[in-house]
Amino acid sequence: MGGKNVELNDEGFLAHPHEWSEDVAKAFAVLENISQLTEDHWTVIYYLRHYYQRFRIAPMIRKLCKDTGFPLAKIERLFPSGPAKGACKLAGLPKPTGCL
Amino acid sequence: MKIPLRLAKNKDLPSIGINHVAETNLCSQTLQLLDEYRAFTRSLSVMLENCTGCGACAKACHSYLGTGDFFNIPAARAGLLRRIFVRYFTWSGRIFGGFAGAGEIERGILDRWVEYFYQCNACRRCAVFCPFGIDTGEVVLAGRNILSRLGIVPSFMADIARNELTSGNNTGILEPAILDSCSFLEEELLEETGLQIKIPVDKPHTRILYLPSSSELFVNSDTLMAAAKVFHYLGLDWTLSSMLLEAANYGLLFDREVMKKHNGRIRAAASAVGAKKVLMGECGHGWRAARMYTEGANGPFPFQLQHILELVAECLPELRLTKLPIRATLHDPCNYGRGAGLVDGPRKIMRACVADLVEMTPNRDRNFCCGGGGGLLMDEMKQIRMQLGEKKAEQIRSLLPLDYIAVPCASCKAQFPLLIKHYGMGEVRTGGVIDLVGKSLDMRGSAVFAGREPNLT
Repeated sequence: MGGKNVELNDEGFLAHPHEWSEDVAKAFAVLENISQLTEDHWTVIYYLRHYYQRFRIAPMIRKLCKDTGFPLAKIERLFPSGPAKGACKLAGLPKPTGCL
Repeated sequence: MKIPLRLAKNKDLPSIGINHVAETNLCSQTLQLLDEYRAFTRSLSVMLENCTGCGACAKACHSYLGTGDFFNIPAARAGLLRRIFVRYFTWSGRIFGGFAGAGEIERGILDRWVEYFYQCNACRRCAVFCPFGIDTGEVVLAGRNILSRLGIVPSFMADIARNELTSGNNTGILEPAILDSCSFLEEELLEETGLQIKIPVDKPHTRILYLPSSSELFVNSDTLMAAAKVFHYLGLDWTLSSMLLEAANYGLLFDREVMKKHNGRIRAAASAVGAKKVLMGECGHGWRAARMYTEGANGPFPFQLQHILELVAECLPELRLTKLPIRATLHDPCNYGRGAGLVDGPRKIMRACVADLVEMTPNRDRNFCCGGGGGLLMDEMKQIRMQLGEKKAEQIRSLLPLDYIAVPCASCKAQFPLLIKHYGMGEVRTGGVIDLVGKSLDMRGSAVFAGREPNLT
């Protein structure tokens, strides 16, 4: 990814979240069939990263929507696999687990 | 039928208290574990000895109906374990072998166990229709327990168990995030109602400890917000616990030791805040685990245990509710309908909240599973889950047009949106029963608002 090797886990998420870079996000975007990463994509990606750096977990979907100002439908358009499985992957977060 | 289930790696097992077993010892260890399990759970022997192969379970099982795979017939599924039991633990099997339905233990049979014990939602509908009451769900859980002790565990289960044992919830949410999320939801409630509705965390000397599904702090926040509104309205003294922000107990679905350990947190969390009552949120298997197993696993417990739907149903006369102008139905989670007898409360609540409540057919203890229960929510099983949910989709289609399907269980809440979209009914909304109470509750009738004394139910 971006000329660098990064390790993915079995679910296709970054094995080591600290290896994230914008190039990693761009490479994931190709895998997720997102043709181009727009400013809106980066807004979501950086919001998730900042939240994760502070709390070691992805934010509530409701909070993500409120703080970015993007309704859920828009986030699902930006990341077709959804906020948990799509956006978190591009942002280099571990895959959220549980009854989800 | 091969399934795409991903298994946990050996290195990931010790953290959940499981040791992997060397390949050469797998068969002998299987027999030893089966022997121990049948000694501990005597009903297992009864269920393994008494099947006549009548086939009544075939048309009762959504897994068989959805996949058409012979080994998904409950009798055939249980037969994968039964043949080993008969061979090594009955005299007829030892003497007559294959003529008595016995089969030798070999490595391949364990792969078959994984394939078919993880295409079962342990919904226990077959037990309702079996003339002998044989509960293949229980046989499946016995099989999964044995596999687990052999070090054969789906990685989805192992990850969740690790979260439960370290952070106290499935999702792995730690205290700072819990506090941040709850204060955010309080702001949302203030914006919505104009009222200072609290979502307390670790509040000492509190009467009620509420255990929601941790998914309510990720995707299902409407359920937690609605619960907070109802508690505020009734003036209840309640709190969440950062030690146990979870109604679920995945151990029930694959490993008794994990179940017991995680269940032990209920007592610890309740005593940390001094709770007299533990109130469980909308989680199907979690309610069954808490209601049916806490006493045996870690009892006796010094608190009352109640489900939020029971409490709200009891308090209905006190709630000022305006019926929502929608047509809605109720999906009975398997672990409520067949696991713990929770069927009347949710109906009473829904009749008070919606203008048009229609029943699925069949319902209550005969309801079909949605295909998401029993710990099968892993992504790689999605396609199979859609097959398992085919009967449920048929039930829903016959009720269209529908505005809302109430699914008071977090596994069902994860499965339903995918299922109805897959079967072309994506316009129907899904969510909890408590969510409806939150929407139809007129907060002007609130105890705190009216300055009444708190109701200490």
